[in-house]
Amino acid sequence: MDLLSLHLFENEAVLKSTFTDCPDVIFRSFLIGNKTKALLIYTEGLANIEEIDKHVLSPLMQQETTRLPDIQTILEQKLSVSKVKPFTDTKHAVQEISSGNPVMLIDQQLEGITIGLAKWEKRAIEEPIAESVVRGPRDGFTETISVNISLLRRKIKSPNLKMKSLVVGRYSQTQIVYMYIEGIVDPHLLDEVHNRLNRIDIDGVLESGYIEEFIEDDPYSPFPQILNTERPDVAASSLLEGRVVILVDGTPFVLIAPTTLYSLFQASEDYYQRFMIGTLIRWLRYIFLLIALLLPSTYVAILTYHQEMLPTTLLLSMAKSREQVPFPALIEAVIMEITFEAIREAGIRLPKQIGSAISIVGALVIGQAAVSSGLVSAPMVMVVAFTGVASFSIPRYNASTAIRMLRFPMIVAAGTLGLLGIMLGILAIIVHLNTIRSFGVPYLSPMAPMKGEEMKDVLIRAPWWSIKKRPRLTGYSNTNRQPERQKPNPLKGTE
Amino acid sequence: MLERGKISALQMAFMMNPTILATGLLLVPAITAKTAKQDLWLSPIWASFIGFMIVFVAYRLHRLYPKETMFEYSEQILGKIPGKIVGVILVFYYFHVTGIIVREYGEFVSGTFLHQTPMVVIFSTMIIVSSMAVYGGLEVIGRCSEMIVPVLLVLYLVIFVMLLKDLDTKNFFPMLENGLGSSLKGSVVLQSWFSEFILVSFFFPYLRDQDKGMKWGMISVFSVMFYMVLTNVMSLLLFGKLTASLTYPVMVAARYISIADFLAHLESIVMALWVAGTFIKITVFYYVLVLGTAQWLKLTDFRTIVLPIGFLLILFGIWSAPNLQVLSHFLSTTAAFYLLSIQVGFPVILLIIALIKKKRQQMKGSITG
Amino acid sequence: MRRHYGKASLKKIFFLFLILFVFLLAGCWDRREVNDLALIRGAGIDKKQNGKLELTVLLYIPKGSTGSEQGMEGSGGGGAMQTLIRSAQGNTIAEAMSILQEKLPRQIFWSHCEVFIFNEAIAKEGIAEHVDFFIRMPELRERSQLFISKERARKILSLLPPLERDLAEVVRELGEEKIGMTVTTKDFAEMLVSEAGDTAIPWIKILPPIEGQEEKRTIAYITGTAIFKRDKMVGKIDDSLTRGLLWLRDEVKYSTISVTPKGTKGYVSMKLLRANSKIIPKIRNGKWEVVLKAEADDDIMQNTTDLDVTNPKVVKALEHQLNSQLANRVNETLKEVQKDMKADVFGFADAFHREYPEIWKKEKHRWNEIFPKVKVTIASKINIQRQGMQSGHPLISSEKGKAE
Repeated sequence: MDLLSLHLFENEAVLKSTFTDCPDVIFRSFLIGNKTKALLIYTEGLANIEEIDKHVLSPLMQQETTRLPDIQTILEQKLSVSKVKPFTDTKHAVQEISSGNPVMLIDQQLEGITIGLAKWEKRAIEEPIAESVVRGPRDGFTETISVNISLLRRKIKSPNLKMKSLVVGRYSQTQIVYMYIEGIVDPHLLDEVHNRLNRIDIDGVLESGYIEEFIEDDPYSPFPQILNTERPDVAASSLLEGRVVILVDGTPFVLIAPTTLYSLFQASEDYYQRFMIGTLIRWLRYIFLLIALLLPSTYVAILTYHQEMLPTTLLLSMAKSREQVPFPALIEAVIMEITFEAIREAGIRLPKQIGSAISIVGALVIGQAAVSSGLVSAPMVMVVAFTGVASFSIPRYNASTAIRMLRFPMIVAAGTLGLLGIMLGILAIIVHLNTIRSFGVPYLSPMAPMKGEEMKDVLIRAPWWSIKKRPRLTGYSNTNRQPERQKPNPLKGTE
Repeated sequence: MLERGKISALQMAFMMNPTILATGLLLVPAITAKTAKQDLWLSPIWASFIGFMIVFVAYRLHRLYPKETMFEYSEQILGKIPGKIVGVILVFYYFHVTGIIVREYGEFVSGTFLHQTPMVVIFSTMIIVSSMAVYGGLEVIGRCSEMIVPVLLVLYLVIFVMLLKDLDTKNFFPMLENGLGSSLKGSVVLQSWFSEFILVSFFFPYLRDQDKGMKWGMISVFSVMFYMVLTNVMSLLLFGKLTASLTYPVMVAARYISIADFLAHLESIVMALWVAGTFIKITVFYYVLVLGTAQWLKLTDFRTIVLPIGFLLILFGIWSAPNLQVLSHFLSTTAAFYLLSIQVGFPVILLIIALIKKKRQQMKGSITG
Repeated sequence: MRRHYGKASLKKIFFLFLILFVFLLAGCWDRREVNDLALIRGAGIDKKQNGKLELTVLLYIPKGSTGSEQGMEGSGGGGAMQTLIRSAQGNTIAEAMSILQEKLPRQIFWSHCEVFIFNEAIAKEGIAEHVDFFIRMPELRERSQLFISKERARKILSLLPPLERDLAEVVRELGEEKIGMTVTTKDFAEMLVSEAGDTAIPWIKILPPIEGQEEKRTIAYITGTAIFKRDKMVGKIDDSLTRGLLWLRDEVKYSTISVTPKGTKGYVSMKLLRANSKIIPKIRNGKWEVVLKAEADDDIMQNTTDLDVTNPKVVKALEHQLNSQLANRVNETLKEVQKDMKADVFGFADAFHREYPEIWKKEKHRWNEIFPKVKVTIASKINIQRQGMQSGHPLISSEKGKAE
């Protein structure tokens, strides 16, 4: 710990050497009351200069007293800024300056003052792009952690919403905050999150994805074990279920842990719509999940191993359409799937203006030319297209990537052993899903281990008045969400 | 303890269902039909008594040695060296039986679907998936079965429903033509399947809710019986006297399904579902084998021997029989006595000795005390 | 909360699995592409002079067409050959099949074969040995239908039906209509292992083509039933006797019956809505008897008489007449099949076995003697349910009334 020295010039030298070749760090010397030397250090672009001028420099410089000012009086009488804090060591000063807070040092004082007048260009709160809804709040997290915290605080106003902060990244010095609701969260989980976060030693954290890879349970799994979201309402509902939300400065994506597989297939809107529709959509998603994972491989398996399964008429028309295709069905499927993935990827990366060109190329080249030239059979194009659509209906992007990735080994398995291969593949996936945990919570809960009460939120989207309990594994220390008998039951027929 | 995971009694019940049924459903109707004729649907009911008895015996043994499996308490009951010898017998027995199960699986798959695929490939792909589950331990196996089995059980009922219009109740009659004798005789082979319920004794120590173990064990015996009766009824009503001459009646039944000309030829899907059931069966046996071997060798972690044993199982699968005829002859004749003697005779003897020992200790205790 | 870390070995297995599949891909032992398959739609078995049998298969030719070409083909070649006939000889079907394979560039694929046609000559020698192949071969389905033909099976299969895709489809659809008997491989095998073991298979014949049409542009249709003593054909009954057989077997689905009521000249035609029948065996004083209990509901379809079919009395009389007509039919069938051919295709043996297991056990061996003597009484109850959309007097009679 390098404590501040009594002499201003010494402190100035230390800081100046720290910030050599940092022209954005400004050292502004001035005199308090025409007498005492003082130094204000701030980073250009990160500090609110007008406020500094108005509330720091002008009151201090126009001071008339000849008395040696001490820190306490300055804090109490002079600085009309709400967020001020004295400090004693240079390291702290460096940190504050880097994060935008101006620092004031005064000659003959062992303490400096940080002034919370950081201000930088922020993006306004916008509608989240990755998770859009028809009905539901339109605010989304931004890159600024303080804004994100405030968004969550606005949703949950109870003082039980607690947060702990730490800084990760030797160079990036990124602030990480994890939030939880005291009284709901499992203290063991909290310890675990704390330990895992404190383990991280990295040069820089630019996105929450960095953190995710350091703290997940099973790094070799294709399935995401930590949920990320842009939506404060999703984060808030997770908090209420006893989960921990991890916010990382500089990214709008916050992490939610622990996560189960089923929460990857739940969109926030499910809970805002009428519950029957929510249930229906949820089931649609499960079916599409299966289609996205299995349709191409099943097609390959049936076409090359189990031709007897097709009704005769269908088989005959299949045989017709495949008559001139030069590739075996397996190769055809792999080629088409890769092409589709390429088009999808190109569509995301390309600038929006060119993006539409890709869809034309895709539709023309693959849809039309490939089929009419006889290189690819028309049913295969349909299969690939349908699979693609199905994979887009999974609300979480990282879950749908996992499914899309697993599609390829499944196709290979189907091409090797037919439906048996597919079944073995499914079994392997089930076994794998059963082995992974997310912060100690089995990934497939509440399906396995089975918990009847919680299946309400998996098989159906139960109406809110019937979801009386929190998920057992995350919220067991405070199980009751709401009292019984809240089902609306107004008197009828009394006019 | 080697196994740190805990399962619930319900999970155990789910595990036991396909463990008995998977291979049973395929072969049982034809085997019982040979002796029981049109009374074949009664045979599972008689045979289930063995199942109930075995669960009871296993539970009593468990109550005497609540934290140990059969490999461990046989040493306690019989003494160190005889216990070890019994352990060897059990380990080799499970090697053999698991090998036979793997072979049954291979025979079915290559006999009905993948005629040219080498048996080794069919074996090894399954063993690899199973070994993944065994690696995960009992907890993973329990959860997998909890997910898979209810689906299978429901889908099996769906198959039955789809066949309803083709069933002919006339085939039931004449009931009890040869008295109870023929159906009892038919149940002998089935008893060997029900005797496999002794596997519960390997799971009892790892139950989270130990007091419910007996209850769920009994329920799963009952459900196995129910499904066997259902299968036999289905085969009988669909094929009548033909049942005895088919190799895999359920399979043929599945491919006989035809609804609206479109939902037809479902046997491949049935095969896929059956494979899921067999996966649990193989995994359960594989796990018991691995756990038993590890306990017998007093290893600290059973995971190290998962893959070597898996490799041996592939070999046992190949060695267990030269062809299907020998295999199914073995299953419908000698196997009954072989399986019954180890899976019923042995635990019963253990229980008797244990009870006598306990009595003596009590008497000693009362004398000295 | 329990925590598990470091299951690295599990990952190893997972990767092993993936790698294994890639290696296995080199094998692909059972893979067969659709365009390498010869889709068999139907098969026929004939007897050759040299004592061998001839297996004829009807193959489907997938016309190479993709995308836009498809439309052109549809409009252009209406009469393009869609099917192909190939034959081979051998001592068994399996042998003939492998010889057939020599002549086909594509792998024979049986799964979609839904029709088997046996020539009369081969049926007379016994077909159980061939049906064994059908059941043993995993590819073949138990639902494929069996037929016996008067003409050569090869000739029947080579017909080019004007309405359906190919002949197999025609015959299969006709079989599904269930106007005559329908016998699948499974049904046949079941009959063969039943107590009596006598069987029956529908009989098909070529429909004479419409004048001016090509000789081949016609179909084969089901008319009558071939009766087998065990698996050897002993005779054939015509369509109307088949109806009697269906009544005895409880397989009646569709039928239209016309009766001429007493004292009128026209006909009243009735359509069968639903029917079920039951044979009840009885052994009285050593005499074996069977009661056929039949129940049916009919609708009136046409009335060319001047009877008022809304009159309950008339309906009663019609019902009575229907009953006796049914009895006549069944008796005729019994006369031919039971008395002359002595084939128990009605399931009497099974019925007796079910009802009197003890007596059956003793008398089983004498069944061939007993069967022709079994006395059959018919107790039928036919209800006429509705008179159709036309109520009151039919048009004809009202006009007649005016004329007078």
